[in-house]
Amino acid sequence: MTAHVLPPAPAVQRPRVLVVGTAFAAAASFMVFVGLIGIYLAARADVIASGTAWLPKGVSIPLQQPNTMFITLIMSVFTMQWAVAAIAKNDRVNAYLAMGLTLMLGIATIVMTTYLWYLMKLDIASGIQGVLIYTITGAHIVMLVVAMIFVALMGLRALGGQFTARQHDGITAAAVFWYAMVAVYALIWISIYVTK
Amino acid sequence: MALTDTRPETGTDASAVAPSVVPSPLTIFGTGDHKAVGTFYVLAALVFGIAGWVAAALSLGHEVGSNSFLSGSTAMQLGQTSNLGLILLVIVPLFLGLGTYIVPLQVGASTVAFPRAAAAAMWTWLLSSGVFIVASFIDGGFGGSREKSVSLTLMALGGLIVALLLGTVCVLTTAVTLRTPGMTLDRVPMFSFSMLVGGAIWLLTLPVLLANLLLIWVDHRYNGGTTFGAGAIQFDQVLWITYEPQIYAFLIPGLGIVADVIATLTGARLGQRNILLLAIGAFGVLSVGAWAQPAIYPSASDDLVWQAMGLLMLLPTLLFFGGVAKAFKDGKPSLKSPLGLAVVSLLLTLLAVLAGALLAITPLELRVSGFFEAGQYVLAIAAALAAAAAGIGYWGPKMTGGHSADGLGKLNVLVLLGGGALGGLSLCVVGFSHRFTGLDGAHDALVVVSMIGCALLALGGALALLGLLSGARKGAPEAAADAWGTGQTLEWACPSPPPTGNFGDLAIVRSPEPLLDEEA
Repeated sequence: MTAHVLPPAPAVQRPRVLVVGTAFAAAASFMVFVGLIGIYLAARADVIASGTAWLPKGVSIPLQQPNTMFITLIMSVFTMQWAVAAIAKNDRVNAYLAMGLTLMLGIATIVMTTYLWYLMKLDIASGIQGVLIYTITGAHIVMLVVAMIFVALMGLRALGGQFTARQHDGITAAAVFWYAMVAVYALIWISIYVTK
Repeated sequence: MALTDTRPETGTDASAVAPSVVPSPLTIFGTGDHKAVGTFYVLAALVFGIAGWVAAALSLGHEVGSNSFLSGSTAMQLGQTSNLGLILLVIVPLFLGLGTYIVPLQVGASTVAFPRAAAAAMWTWLLSSGVFIVASFIDGGFGGSREKSVSLTLMALGGLIVALLLGTVCVLTTAVTLRTPGMTLDRVPMFSFSMLVGGAIWLLTLPVLLANLLLIWVDHRYNGGTTFGAGAIQFDQVLWITYEPQIYAFLIPGLGIVADVIATLTGARLGQRNILLLAIGAFGVLSVGAWAQPAIYPSASDDLVWQAMGLLMLLPTLLFFGGVAKAFKDGKPSLKSPLGLAVVSLLLTLLAVLAGALLAITPLELRVSGFFEAGQYVLAIAAALAAAAAGIGYWGPKMTGGHSADGLGKLNVLVLLGGGALGGLSLCVVGFSHRFTGLDGAHDALVVVSMIGCALLALGGALALLGLLSGARKGAPEAAADAWGTGQTLEWACPSPPPTGNFGDLAIVRSPEPLLDEEA
């Protein structure tokens, strides 16, 4: 006679510690920019209210490069999500490809930002405008570099075979931080580049 | 017991797991143990607290008479350093230290989330705090004349804010993701819940302070300090964290400590638990003050939202007061020092909120001289210190494994009550001097009274430190797992001090007071 054995109890679901922690960190990073942009908008409103133009004479901010960067970063959102979806299906080749493309788009954004700084011809010592614009855009580049390091590290861990379809929190966490970085750029794009 | 619904895994006796980590020179620098990290935070913050209140008293001395022993700029820098320092070097790290130690125990976790990050945050905070103090003393405070020292101060402040945020992320993630099965968010112990609310508010507002510091530093370093970095207005841009409503954000974890202490030491379940949770949540929402920066938004105090926040804060405070008062009625209060300190914290919190409500009534013009605001600041910080002292006294046996000398704690009840009331209320009275000219003659005497209050608060910090150390001394009465005998929450289910891993397997939690369910 064979004994009837109940199936084992399901394992306790592993909490998504890294994803939640990254979401908190991304929220804090986002708030740095909310603070910076709030101060930027208040300062700009004061200058404009006094009857003078916001940007100093001889300084102009072209829109082509910021728009290109915005499109680039929106594309990077898709490539990052592609990486998450690929690793969730254990499709490692596509995951590596997507993370590589995301990093390339990040590098392109850094290059474009530095080109924009060159085109603007805005001296940081020219007054409140230079300080604010370079602080905000510079801080965003720092956030972008942090996000790229995060993606690269998770890519290396994926190469090491640490992520599977069932457990890929690291790549999801990197994606969360990446999306926050893109959301920050959307704020910068509308408040600094579009409405000037 | 509700705790008896054992999970499928085989239970193990907590005392049988690995022995406790005892801080030693070898483990101090490398440990990621949340108990050691939390203890370091608490010890360092108490030492900074003693220094901070002494500095506050000295800077007040400049307001007395015409022949001050300090120069104007020195007194100003000392006052500014102590103003920021008492928040970022004392109150936030005290709560964060208690949170790092206690929250994992309360939610039934074996460790804090990201233990190495928590340790890195603590060491970064400690290092940055040291640099901040040193740089401030070499004429590098806000508006100081040595440019490189000022840069150093700004960078140190930035570093310690990042460290505090990282530590907060670790504690919040623990409370969100590492709760033991059955512990839903409404069953989380009050201190853990208040850390969740307070930490969330810190995560939303301290980054804005970081943004202020970043702008000051960039302007100071690259633009010759002509706008944000101008010496005269540097401090004005960060002053908002000492004003209402933001100052209340640093009181939130104290509310949770008060509720836990009162529940345990009266032996009663918190009957109106949901109302208390609601009160803490509302207190948090009404303390978001990063938008009300006088340097950026000069008419913030004329804003209806700002005034409404100041007045509405009375509601959650009174709600909380009523909720914990019911525990006194339902239970049998045990006259232990943590209970006394919790009551002192409650009283000072109520006074701070009342003062804030008066400030919000703009026709009273209490913001004219700045003394009333300074008085409210002292009341609020003293309330937070009393709550932290209550927490240290309450969880001290868990942290050290021994009962501390309760006489020290009882003395501290009087010292902190006297210090908070004298230090804060006397300055509030000075704040009325523009309305009552008769107060002019009492100005110096009232400021001296406030100095005495600040000195008492420094003594209060020292007594809290001595109390904690007395529990660790040889010969201290050994503390049982449930040190007070009436513990309700999971931290009292593990040995004192907790071993590495804290618990064996825990049963499914069925209520906010699992240990009371076990007895039933």
